[in-house]
Amino acid sequence: MGELIRLEGIVKSFDDTVVLNGIDLSVDENEFVTLLGPSGCGKTTTLRIIAGFEKPDQGRVYFEGKDITDMPANQRPVNTVFQNYALFPHMNVFENIAFSLRVKNVKEDEIKKRVAKALKQVNLKGFENRRIDQLSGGQQQRIAMARAIVNEPRVLLLDEPLGALDLKLRQEMEYELVRLKKELGITFIYITHDQEEALTMSDKVVVMNEGYIQQEGTPQEIYDEPVNAFVADFIGDSNIVPGQMADEKVVKIDGVEYPCIDGTAEGFPPRRRVDVVIRPEDIDIVPYGEGQWNGTITSKLFIGVHYEMLVQSEHGKIEWLLQNYDQHEVGEKIGMKVDPENIQIMHKPKSEAESAIELDI
Amino acid sequence: MAKKTYTIPFIIWIIAGTVIPLISIAYYGFTSRDGGFTLDNIAAIFRHDHMQALGLSLTLAIISTIICLIIAFPMAMILRESKYGKQGFLIFVIILPMWMNFLLRTMAWQVLLERQGVINAIITAVGLPRQEMMNTPGAIVLGMVYDFLPFMILPIYNTVSKIDNHLIEAAYDLGANKTKVYTSVIFPLAVPGIVSGITMVFIPALTTFVISNMLGGGKINLIGNIIEQEFTVNSNWYLGSGLSLVMMVFIIISMLLLQRFDKTGGANLI
Amino acid sequence: MKKVLGRIYILIIMMFLYLPILTLIVLSFNSTKSMSVWGGFSLRWYEELFRSRIMMGAILNTFSIAILAALIATVVGTLAVLGMAAMRPRTQNVLLGFNNIPMLNADIVTGIALMLFFLMVGAPRGYMTILFSHATFCIPYVILSVRPRVNKNTDRLYEAALDLGASEGYAFRRIVLPELKPGIMSGFLLSFTMSVDDFIITYFTRGAGINTISTLIYSEVKIGIRPSLFALSTIIFVVALVVLLFVNLRQDKADRETALQAM
Repeated sequence: MGELIRLEGIVKSFDDTVVLNGIDLSVDENEFVTLLGPSGCGKTTTLRIIAGFEKPDQGRVYFEGKDITDMPANQRPVNTVFQNYALFPHMNVFENIAFSLRVKNVKEDEIKKRVAKALKQVNLKGFENRRIDQLSGGQQQRIAMARAIVNEPRVLLLDEPLGALDLKLRQEMEYELVRLKKELGITFIYITHDQEEALTMSDKVVVMNEGYIQQEGTPQEIYDEPVNAFVADFIGDSNIVPGQMADEKVVKIDGVEYPCIDGTAEGFPPRRRVDVVIRPEDIDIVPYGEGQWNGTITSKLFIGVHYEMLVQSEHGKIEWLLQNYDQHEVGEKIGMKVDPENIQIMHKPKSEAESAIELDI
Repeated sequence: MAKKTYTIPFIIWIIAGTVIPLISIAYYGFTSRDGGFTLDNIAAIFRHDHMQALGLSLTLAIISTIICLIIAFPMAMILRESKYGKQGFLIFVIILPMWMNFLLRTMAWQVLLERQGVINAIITAVGLPRQEMMNTPGAIVLGMVYDFLPFMILPIYNTVSKIDNHLIEAAYDLGANKTKVYTSVIFPLAVPGIVSGITMVFIPALTTFVISNMLGGGKINLIGNIIEQEFTVNSNWYLGSGLSLVMMVFIIISMLLLQRFDKTGGANLI
Repeated sequence: MKKVLGRIYILIIMMFLYLPILTLIVLSFNSTKSMSVWGGFSLRWYEELFRSRIMMGAILNTFSIAILAALIATVVGTLAVLGMAAMRPRTQNVLLGFNNIPMLNADIVTGIALMLFFLMVGAPRGYMTILFSHATFCIPYVILSVRPRVNKNTDRLYEAALDLGASEGYAFRRIVLPELKPGIMSGFLLSFTMSVDDFIITYFTRGAGINTISTLIYSEVKIGIRPSLFALSTIIFVVALVVLLFVNLRQDKADRETALQAM
């Protein structure tokens, strides 16, 4: 699989607000890439630059090695599934899907065939004559897909396509999207602020914040080895706590020292201040006094399969989030322990303000 | 999607149809018959007959506006509370007279109020003495209220019909009585409609010369009549323009006052 | 109780609004000229109305000016709205501020201002000056009704069309214009009715010898009310009634249809 799209040093501002701060991104042929981030992180602008709706202030966009930065949107071999679908309200389903074919003056019987095929691909066979306002949200979503794929684009851009759907439909559509991508064998660039969608469907997840790419990797890598507190926090419920390397491969958190697997070789020498992620499911509960540290359960929630608890540490100020299958009562004193490989040490974000603090110490 | 140059015909039209004409009023207003600069045309407002006309215009316009408001608000509330289909019908019934030429509508009152008119015919048939109703300030107010009432009802109805019923229910739920619900929920939310209703009634009422001409028999002069005569009878455009400028100042002041009301009303909501 | 009071109130207002009009309608069929004595049913005032060359000319002027003014205003206004969408918000607000002037200003001031303008540039007052003036006060209404339809959604649809390969012109014709159509239509209709209904601005910007329905009524009323004006009132009322009923019924039907489809 070769490289299909490459963004190089993309910078973009709107009215003095910098939205993209030098984005470098490479998308391979037939890859499912998700740009993940909170609203305002720049993911939509990145997509619009790939689609050709925005011109970057600096940087270039390449498609199969060819510079397409100045190519207008209507000539690019990409199609978009818009947020809220942007279906043409005065046309029926057939005309909506046929739009790009009509533009290219495709013959009428060929149009009919291809529209029918596209409808079949999104499981809405026979919907040709429906009006747009007769469709449910999920159906509109599928029509938007059909309209975007009927012209057989090399890349499909999807701008939060599931954002307007309810949870159950959304999960259903996630499977559909993966199936459709397999069937079409084309590249998907997908935008979402929902970490679950990103982790479920993607080959590669690109986490963005404030116009920077924070981390790029497979869903597994992003989940297991977040590079900083922002990524860790965005990817899921987690204990993200400040710490300091106490010794080689020992980190001190909240007054307790824990052995870990990162040391000088990984860029974490003793005395370095760090952020630490410990996933709530990785903290084991043991009888009081028998673990690495102790605490008191302050609240408990049953969520489906497991319990979620908040535990106030008795060594310092931190309240730990735990997930456990066993029931424990509020007020109970417990011991806790965590395996060294489940302690994820991360660099502090390298913003100017924070490096200044580091020097003070 | 489109180019900025699309606005060029519009901008030319604004300049030729609005900006230059307004500048020419200002020019004539500050120019004397012999072509020099003067403030006489503006100061002429202080002439006794002009002051009287302006005073009467303000009085009649304010009275008509208040009457319209008093009639329109309950009407708008009734429309709001009546059922949908009926509501559509009632709105239709209020809009319909607006489609009739307002000169004809004013003429209708002439026919009714005339010495030989319909009302006097009925009165004398019952055996009562003939009434002089035409050519009085009362007749003019009646004509103004009749002509402009729909312009008060519709904007108020538009805002009160959009008030979410839950807000009113919430107010009752929180212990408000009917008066409190009106003063602290419905009125504040209706302010934008009331303000635009007042604008749409007060300004034409203040500046009219047609209604006063038709129902005042040329005997009652409003500021609009004075200005109209300067242009059509006396051909003194300088004086007419000067008085128009004064009238515009009154319009601007009243709009600014109203707008402030609207803003504070909006602020009260938060 | 409350409902009864409400109904009585509505009834009183309706009587206030419609009794004067009803009086005109009744009198239009009166065979005598008297406003207070019923002399029997007759259509003579209608005959007189239709025989009047001046009245027919005024009617023709009124409607041709209204159609032309509305057309001009629709084109200029719609183009302006599209052009403004490409401008910065601040520039847009300045233009909209100017746009509001003819709507907020008193008609008498607008009329006088235009009259002075025509005098200054030496334009002979007549049909063309009325037409220019009417287009001037109609443009703001077109802009007001089309502008809400040019929004983020229109932008998105336009982009979607480009994304699907349409050229800019094609996307505009096939996607943007149909989206704007309801606004353009209502802007046109609003302009048309404003123009037909106008008296004051026409009064100041017309020349001698040209009349619209409004100016003709005004000059006739000044001389003395002729019953043929009652006939004219009746006709205008009936036409307005039919047109409004037609529009309303069509609207109702459209509403019902969308309501059904939503279910």
